[in-house]
Amino acid sequence: MSASAPLVEFEGVAARIGMATILRDVDMRVRPGESVGVFGSNGAGKTTLLRVIATLLRPSQGRARVLGVDLSSQDRFDVRPRLGLIGHAPALYPELSLVGNLEFSARIAGASQESAMAALATVGLAAAADRPAGEASHGMQRRVEFAREIMLSPDLLLLDEPHSALDPSAIELVEHIVAGVLQRGGAVVLVSHDVDRVAPMVTRTAELAGGTVR
Amino acid sequence: MSDRFWPQALAIARRDLDRERRSGEVAWVTIPFGAIALLLVPLAVGVNQDVLSRIGTGMLFVVVMLFGVLTSIRRTNIETPEQRDAVALLGIDPVAEFAGRTMASALLLLVFEIVMGAVAVPLYGLDLVGWGWMFAVMPLTALGLAELGTLSGSIASSFNAGPALVPLLVTPLAIPLLLGATQTVTAIDSDRGNLSWLVLMAIVVLVLAIVGVVTARPLQETR
Amino acid sequence: MSDATRRRPSVLDIVAIVAVIGALAFSLSSPRVESQGDAARMLFIHVPTIWLAYLAFAVTFLASIAYLVKGKLRWDHIAGSSAELGVVFTTVAIIGGMIWGKATWNVYWTWDARLTLTAIMLFVYIGYLALRRAIPDPETRARRSAVLGILGLVQLIPVHFSVTWWRTLHQTNTFRPRDIQMDGPILAALLASVAAFTIVYAALLRSRVRLAELELRAHIAAAAVEGPVAGDAVTAPAIGDGGAKP
Repeated sequence: MSASAPLVEFEGVAARIGMATILRDVDMRVRPGESVGVFGSNGAGKTTLLRVIATLLRPSQGRARVLGVDLSSQDRFDVRPRLGLIGHAPALYPELSLVGNLEFSARIAGASQESAMAALATVGLAAAADRPAGEASHGMQRRVEFAREIMLSPDLLLLDEPHSALDPSAIELVEHIVAGVLQRGGAVVLVSHDVDRVAPMVTRTAELAGGTVR
Repeated sequence: MSDRFWPQALAIARRDLDRERRSGEVAWVTIPFGAIALLLVPLAVGVNQDVLSRIGTGMLFVVVMLFGVLTSIRRTNIETPEQRDAVALLGIDPVAEFAGRTMASALLLLVFEIVMGAVAVPLYGLDLVGWGWMFAVMPLTALGLAELGTLSGSIASSFNAGPALVPLLVTPLAIPLLLGATQTVTAIDSDRGNLSWLVLMAIVVLVLAIVGVVTARPLQETR
Repeated sequence: MSDATRRRPSVLDIVAIVAVIGALAFSLSSPRVESQGDAARMLFIHVPTIWLAYLAFAVTFLASIAYLVKGKLRWDHIAGSSAELGVVFTTVAIIGGMIWGKATWNVYWTWDARLTLTAIMLFVYIGYLALRRAIPDPETRARRSAVLGILGLVQLIPVHFSVTWWRTLHQTNTFRPRDIQMDGPILAALLASVAAFTIVYAALLRSRVRLAELELRAHIAAAAVEGPVAGDAVTAPAIGDGGAKP
């Protein structure tokens, strides 16, 4: 990665879901080594903003580049393995075990199977590896998702309400993961409605209101 | 085709089969429900053995087709948008995902077909003459229905009415598979013979595979 | 209705009306078919409508490919509009065929290969229209229905062969659409009907595509207006002094 080129560059970006305009005229730059906290109230469009950055939702207007790739081009699919997203709702398969979910991710991403168990141990869930994800608490499932990002080491990590359902030791884990991404020259964008709780893990903040980032 | 194609396709298939093994839905819901459907027909049309043995093969494949559609719907229904997004961000090759889902569905449908066949033979008094062709017919039917189900599931995913639409999308397009399956067994004495039906089914499977491969990337986009 | 949306009949619309009147006159003045009686005149509607159904779905297929290749929503409008017309014409063809069948053969339906295939085709494209109706976002709708538009027609080819072979194996009836003797004047009337209906299809398609484009323009305008975004609908809860009341 170039040392100074922004990892996220949005100019006048708008996004719609169905007939509803969620984001309008968003200007945003995130540079390597930055951890940006975007704050907004319920319904402000925080999750939508993350999904646009994650290339899962195409902007309806504006110019958007993520990791140097124009989001209107077909190349946006190629940039996805370098992104990590931990959403508000868990993305685990309830029938599979905690380690089974990680091993699936490892197989798709080309990581080793051993790294799945190692990552699970890092987040303190080694003893619960064989528990079906559907029987794990919300907090445990979120830890597994953090384990996935430890395993895959993304260049750009996106977090939606990172403190949700986590106990204090897990929150320390999140801070450790964020620090690791920044140390590698990556960047983090996290969204939350709680400025105070995420302050220790961000280098700057922005507000999302009226569909735009200030 | 990238070098990650087959590892990814097999990982997707393994995931779907693991999920099915743990939930047991095909084994404990779809198969019994299909068997009940086969049981209901003689109650409705009468238990004249001649009639039942004439319609039995057809009824078997109608049940396979309709319940095969249900199995495909289920695959779409149980996947959440967050799960779909997570797989997309892992860098899945869309064609590998299509291949993996199809392989898993085809295997489940093949098992379903075999069990339904075992139920239909005694219930309908089916003459097993010509059933050697089932070694070709059943895999082709399973594969074709799996491809249709995977394609339709992708087309109809991510919006509210999606799962309800899949039967309407799949069923009319599955007719060559239905006719090919029934006629291969019963058309032994016709001038055309069975091979034409098998070739037709194979062409359907090939056409669906090509459409699935070509449209995999456009369908991966959620918007 | 504003000037932007009100439309005077175009040349194509007028030609279509004239062509239909002409074809109607031709049909009514053509000689009676002895074996079928006046019921045979249903052919002058049935044949053109089924021809147009095939044409309409072929246009849907080609426009779907064009959309996936070019990415322009106009192709999606053509594909969707043509499919709508195709479903209408297929329905008219089936009903016309049923009326004709009852009058001439005393049955509303037979399992003739062509009739069966037409019914299957109708359900395929009803599914296509149901899919379009269920997706509010224009680009997602265009992409998903383009895939179905291609799959539908491509898959109808093996459906055609399978149904034809199946009927060949089980042919027991004597329903023969070609039983009618086609004299010159009758053939001329039939061709005139086919031509007239084709012009009607072109006129209707043009109008429907234009309507779709106006709908898209309204959709874009609504999204671009400097009004509230979706999040503006969420306000702070109204809680009185002393905390929330039940």
